[in-house]
Formats: sequence, C-alpha cells, structure tokens
Amino acid sequence: MRPTAAALLLAGLAVGALLAHRLPALGALALLLLCACLRAGRRAKPYLWGTLFSAVFVFLLSPLLQSTGWHELWVGPTVPVLGQVDVTSEELRLAALNALRLAAVGLAFAVYALLLDHDRLVAAATARRSVLAAALATRLVPTLERDARGLVEALRGRGVPPRGLHGHAALLSPLLAGSLERGLSLAEAMEARGFGRPGRTRLPAAPWSALDGGAVAAGAAFVVAGALWL
Amino acid sequence: MALASVERLRFAYPQSPPALHAVSLRVEPGEVVLLLGPSGSGKSTLLRALAGLVPWFHGGRFEGRVEVDGRDTRRTRPADLAGTVATVFQDPEDQVVLGRVEAEVAFGLENVGAPPRVIARRVRAALAAVDAEQLVDRSVVELSGGELQRVCLASALALEPRLLLLDEPTSQLDPDGAETFLDHALGTGAAVVLSEQRPASVLHRADRVVFLEAGRVLLDAPRDDAVAWLETHRPAWTSETRDGLQRARDEPGKPVSRVTGASFSYPGGPPVLEGASLELRRGEVVALTGRNGCGKTTLAKLAAGLLEPQAGRVERDGRASFLLQDPGRYLVRERADEEVALAADLPRARSALAAVGLAGYADRHPRDLSTGERERLALATVLVSEPDLLVLDEPTRGVDPERKAELAELLRAQAPARATLVVTHDRAFARAVADREVSLAPERETILA
Repeated sequence: MRPTAAALLLAGLAVGALLAHRLPALGALALLLLCACLRAGRRAKPYLWGTLFSAVFVFLLSPLLQSTGWHELWVGPTVPVLGQVDVTSEELRLAALNALRLAAVGLAFAVYALLLDHDRLVAAATARRSVLAAALATRLVPTLERDARGLVEALRGRGVPPRGLHGHAALLSPLLAGSLERGLSLAEAMEARGFGRPGRTRLPAAPWSALDGGAVAAGAAFVVAGALWL
Repeated sequence: MALASVERLRFAYPQSPPALHAVSLRVEPGEVVLLLGPSGSGKSTLLRALAGLVPWFHGGRFEGRVEVDGRDTRRTRPADLAGTVATVFQDPEDQVVLGRVEAEVAFGLENVGAPPRVIARRVRAALAAVDAEQLVDRSVVELSGGELQRVCLASALALEPRLLLLDEPTSQLDPDGAETFLDHALGTGAAVVLSEQRPASVLHRADRVVFLEAGRVLLDAPRDDAVAWLETHRPAWTSETRDGLQRARDEPGKPVSRVTGASFSYPGGPPVLEGASLELRRGEVVALTGRNGCGKTTLAKLAAGLLEPQAGRVERDGRASFLLQDPGRYLVRERADEEVALAADLPRARSALAAVGLAGYADRHPRDLSTGERERLALATVLVSEPDLLVLDEPTRGVDPERKAELAELLRAQAPARATLVVTHDRAFARAVADREVSLAPERETILA
C-alpha cells in the first residue's frame, strides 16, 4: 500500500475515534490500532508507554474536574477553586471515552511514525517542505531515545550513573543541546545538497492501486461512521 | 583555468577569533588535494568555504574571494552550487535526511532538478560505484557506519560533481573499509579536496598537499615535495604514531577483568559474540582490533561491566571506566572543569584537564570546544577517577597524529597503575601503545610486545 493511502486511512481512523461516542466501538478501534502498532516490535515501546501514560492520566484526572451526572460513586472533600470533589458513573464513562479517544489518536500516530515509509510520503507531497519537516520531527523521538541511552551509558562508564528523578532530569539540557547541534548539522548538509533550490523534480512513484483506493475509502468511511453511528 | 580558487580568504565565525588567515588555494580539474593540519587548524572551515556554506550558512566575517566553477560564492548560495560541488561530512548520521537508501541518494538529484526519468538510473549507478547496490531498498537505520558512509558518498557521486569535498570521511571506518571508500571516492575523475587525520592511507593518492596550522597555510606543494617537508618539519604526519614507547618491563600483574566464553546478542538481533574470552591484567595495555561490526565494543563493555553476558562468565576486580565512541556528544555540564569534576574533586579535575592538554580550558563550555578538544575533555573525565581498568573505544577518531602520539605517551606512562584496553581501528596507534593485540574477527591473538 502507498504510504499516502495508509496515512489517509490512519487519519480517518483517528478522526473517527475522536467523533465516536460508544465505548465498545472506541475500544475496538484502539485495539485495532494497538495490533498494528505491535508489528513494529520493540521500537513501539516508547510510543506505547507515552500513549498509556496519557490515557491513564486523562482517565484518572477528568472525573475530578467535571461535575456531570447524578449517580454518585464517591464524594470527596471540598477543594478551593474546584469546589466539592466527587465521582459519578457518568463522569467515569466520559473519562473512559476521552481516554480511549486519546489512546486511539496516540496509537494512530505511533503506527504512522513506526510503520509508514516517510520518504515516499515526502516524495508524494505537494507541500514538500512541510511534510519533510514533519517526517524529520517524527524521527526525533527515536533519535532522542538513542541519545538519552548514550548519555546514561557514558555516565555509567565514568562511574557516575544518574540516580533518581533529579539525576535523570539533569540530562534534559544536554539532550536538548545535542539535538539542536544535530539539527544544525543536518540543515547544513541539506543546504549543501541543494535543498530549497527552485525547480526540484521527484523520483517517479508507482501508480495508485485498487488497494490504495480502498484504504482511502475506508478512512473516509471511518470518519462518517464515527460521526453518525459509532 | 582553475576549477576553484581561494584568494586571501580571512574568515571568523560569529563572536570568534579568525579561523582562516589570508588563505589562498587553487584546485585544478581532476586534481586530488589533501588537506592536513592539527584539530582546529581550519581544514573544515576551508572545505565549507569551497561549498559556499561559509559564510552563507554559518554567518561570520568573510574577507577575500572564493570562486567555484567561475561563480563567486558570496553571490551564489550553497544550494545553487550543489551539483557542481558535493560534500561528504565527517559523521554520516548527521547528514542523512531520509529513511531509505534509494530516497536518500535521490534527494540531492531531486533538489537540483534532475529529469525524473534519469533519477532512478543515476541512483543505482552511484550506489554501484561504491559497491552498495544491494542496499538500495534498505532502511538507513539498519546500516553499519561503513555502509552509511558509502551511502553518503553515493549521494554525493549521484550529483556527478566537478568538485568533491570530503571532510575526514574515513574516521569511522576500519582500515579495509577506509581503503575501499577512498578507492571509490578518488576514482571518479572529479577534483577532490580531502581532509584527513590518518594521512598514511591517503598521501600516496594525492597530487598536492596543503598543510594548515592555526588558520594559515604552512605548505602548498606537490606530493613528493610535501612528503619531504613533512618528514623534516612535521614527522608525526608521515610516520603516524611513533613506535618504541617505553613498555612495561615486568610481567603484568593480577587480572583486573577476565571474560570467559561470553556470548551476547542485542534484543531481536543475531549473536554479536559467541564464546569470546579476554583477560586484562594490571600493568598491560591491550589493543582490541577487528572489522566494523565484529563485536569489539560489545566485548569491551562486557569487560568493563556495562553489559552482562547471556552465557559465559565475567570476573572483575576493582573499578572500571569506559570512554564511549564519539564521547564529545555525551558531555553534560556547562564548564569543562565541572564536567571532569563529576567523578572527582575540582583540583583533581584541573590536573586531569592539564594532563590532556586542556589546562587553559577550565571555564569553557564543553560544546564550544572543537571536536578534537571535546574528545580530550572526555578522556579527562575517565582518567580523573584513576580506575583499575580503563577502556577507551576508538580514542583516536578525529585526533591528529601529534595529539595521537601524546595520547599514546600518556597511556604508556599511566599503564603500570591499571589495565588498559584500547578498542581501535588505528593499526599504527595499536602498534605504538599496546603490549598485546587481540583481533576479534579471525579468532586470533597477536602478541605485539
């Protein structure tokens, strides 16, 4: 399948998930995307942790910030600004919906980042500069992960491994500095290779297949289904 | 008419002292010019000036004139010079833009507007020219350092440039890989300007040699004259690291680390090591050599305790320090002395800085240092803790021959206090510094001294 068609299918799934309002349908969408994501193997780990953390955070926090429903499950103390904290079954359902929506969107992004050929997306794009910037930004996650591993290993090699939250937080600044340096080097290499020059051409791509057309149609169908039935 | 000419170029990066002082140079079509000089002497800056990246990309104060193919680089953007000029930088990971080899090699051709029908053909021809045709559908993240550097060269060659600029392109390659790379790069008929820190492998291929020091041209001469000049004035650049350093007279002491029958594979990958053994004794310097990807670094990490074997046994006695490849990337503090003082107190940190020739750099930000200076700073960070086992992974990468000789002397002088393991591709350095060489790939061990 062409990456453009796959990207449109994933976008359709993500939008469909955002519009859907039935828990079983959302759960099924998230599960489908999780299965696709797991095809990437170990590389999926940071994306899965990030998605899980965000979804659990939304599920735990949002019932405390809302005042919806009348079937109280728990009544807590009165907190300044928020007023009385309570949890109702309606709030829990809404929290689960939002958490699953977030999980589905996060997993759709993970599949895009891990399994799609970004080079072909860049080649097919009309707005090439924007798509190239997005593709390079997508590569930032694994690059940062590798640099962070290198920093920790370098410190272990010096006999001063980072300890605790403070020790690891201290690595953020060198990680950012290293990433900026890498970005500058890459920009320089791109300039030297003619990036930004007018009159660019592109490597010819294979024609669209029936599978590609089907994927785009399925993406559109998920959006409509999410808005009307799911 | 010269293909490229540099006339009295004086250049300073923003808020920095001049990197080049009245440098003049002419490059004729098809000529191979070798740029030599210590770290920070201005070689990379001169290459960037020829590519138009200085001053366009870096800014700074630019005086003089640089012309390439009749075009003044002050009036022609680097992107517009692409095609006529192609550059291969030192670190392949910092110049790869796209994720697949075919797209990566096609990137420059697309940018310069090559007709779509010829792009695929030129991509394959360029890959074939560097013996990398089989990589065309591979993802760049799966490639070894040597393969990636060949893809970078293919990306440059695909443009069919008239001037090829190579900035220490073989620093990450093993000697055989470096030879192959140079065979490909210098056999295209394009004029080549090449900077190198391992001149022995390139001197015989150059038509002309330019020696830079502190931003000034000390020598610009045909190869044979240049070799004679180097032998007289800069002998380290022709004989590489000199042999005959003082070796330990006593038998080595007790084992500090002993790896027995160790096997290791990274998650999801094939075995890197199977049944590997290595013993490191106090007082000896061991060089661990072998081709790219044969497991040298993994074995060294097992010996130092950074990895644990999945089979076999590792016994260690005492504290180990390990200096990673490309350690300049992994500096975490904002002053050089504080960086070293992470593992010791400040006075010892300053002594360690002095020992590696960075006495006046205590208050400098590590990321403001040149590549070679960063590597020396990183060396100080592991020497300062006075470990029982010191492991250095490719410590001569990007280090000029004079500094390399100093490093060999430093390691030899401190050898009696510890066991030292040097993982290296640099055969001359291994010969100069090691008592014993362990070569991984063909399962043999060579006793050097």
